[in-house]
Amino acid sequence: MEFFMTYILPVLVVGVLAAIFAFCLSFLGEKLAIDRDARIDEIERNLAGANCGGCGYPGCAAFAEALFKGEAKPDRCNPTSAVNKANIARILGMSEEKSRETVAVVHCIGGNKCRNKYDYQGYGDCESAQLIADGNKACELGCMGLGSCSESCKFDAISVDKDLGFAIVDSPKCTSCGACVAVCPKKIIGRIPKDAKVYVACSNTHRGKEVSSVCERGCIGCGLCAKNCPTGAIELSNNLAAIDYDKCIGCEKCKEVCPRKCILPFDMHDNAAKRLKNK
Amino acid sequence: MSIASIITIVISAILTDNIVLSKTLGICPLLGTSKKTDSAVGMGLAVTFVITVSSVVCYGLFKLLDFWNITYLQTIVFILVIASLVQLLDIVLKRFSPTLYNSLGIYLALITTNCTVLGSANMVIDYGYNLLETFVFGFFTGIGFTMVLILMSGIREKLNRTHIPKPFAGFPIALIIAGILAMAFGGFTGFAF
Repeated sequence: MEFFMTYILPVLVVGVLAAIFAFCLSFLGEKLAIDRDARIDEIERNLAGANCGGCGYPGCAAFAEALFKGEAKPDRCNPTSAVNKANIARILGMSEEKSRETVAVVHCIGGNKCRNKYDYQGYGDCESAQLIADGNKACELGCMGLGSCSESCKFDAISVDKDLGFAIVDSPKCTSCGACVAVCPKKIIGRIPKDAKVYVACSNTHRGKEVSSVCERGCIGCGLCAKNCPTGAIELSNNLAAIDYDKCIGCEKCKEVCPRKCILPFDMHDNAAKRLKNK
Repeated sequence: MSIASIITIVISAILTDNIVLSKTLGICPLLGTSKKTDSAVGMGLAVTFVITVSSVVCYGLFKLLDFWNITYLQTIVFILVIASLVQLLDIVLKRFSPTLYNSLGIYLALITTNCTVLGSANMVIDYGYNLLETFVFGFFTGIGFTMVLILMSGIREKLNRTHIPKPFAGFPIALIIAGILAMAFGGFTGFAF
């Protein structure tokens, strides 16, 4: 009995425990395995595999899954070649769409027209300013103009205009790599099709009154653009106009009716900025 | 067992006897996953979850070992439990809560070799807690761990924006800060409730 208690029992206890755990794990592992469609893997193989996150998903695997579920379109990914995109479209059984070239755009023209909450005297880029009470702009979704985006740009395509106080994309140089989109702490840099005629130059989702109390230029969500759009391409969501570029025909009606002049023509973003400056 | 003893356990697990700053366990995740607040929160959540469950399971198993007088097997059995538990969580979360699984990410697997988990399972035994106290201790040890991780990541995010002398940049300054934090938390020592 003592021999059993001293030598056999410990071995038994550990052995049996390990066996129980191993059994449970392998049983559950099989039982709860996720049925993964082989097509998802095939889509992932066709993606660029850079895991850059430019599409807004954590990596190529997550993007492949989103593609499979129909949540995203292949043209969200820039690095993937046109041939592979066609392959993906074939796997998904989609009609082959001509994917549009995109370009980055800063959805804010507040700049110096937007009130400062405090005088920032820190290290000097947007990320560090953002750490102090969400940045020095009274508008929490306004460009601070401290240039984290231009630092991140490898193509010298985005820069901050000191007189205007916000970042401006030099569209011909922009490759839509997404570096500035990722680095902006306010998340106000987006991508729009290169052939877009207009863009919404504000990201503030607050109500009109709050917007106008902090910024002279921001979208107040009045909805005039949506009402006047002949193709219904503009929708108001969260007190902010959003343009569906698949429907937009480029009539620029929205630009004319906007009382805040924050829907701007996009015959190159920086031209728009220059025009603003001249006013 | 009273409310007072529970409150004492909560306060000591978070402040006076913080697992990282006072017991110096889990220094590796403290340095490794405190560069960004996002990952600090992810790691903290995962550890809290695993500590709570594993403390309770280990408590039950220790009773069994104690019954057979083979408590010297404690460490090896606890490691077995923790490793299997993490694997189990991995499988279950992947299936039933992909959102949580994705937010915990790689940190879930890293916990297998995290000494805070084994440490708190051992401490529960040393302190002679009962089941409820074990649960409370496990959970709030995890909360204390999360808090220190978030504190560290906040400070380190700030540090990235300052000009640190070259020999101190990176891990050295992180260790110095961990030391200062530990000293600050030392101020809580001796509080009795």
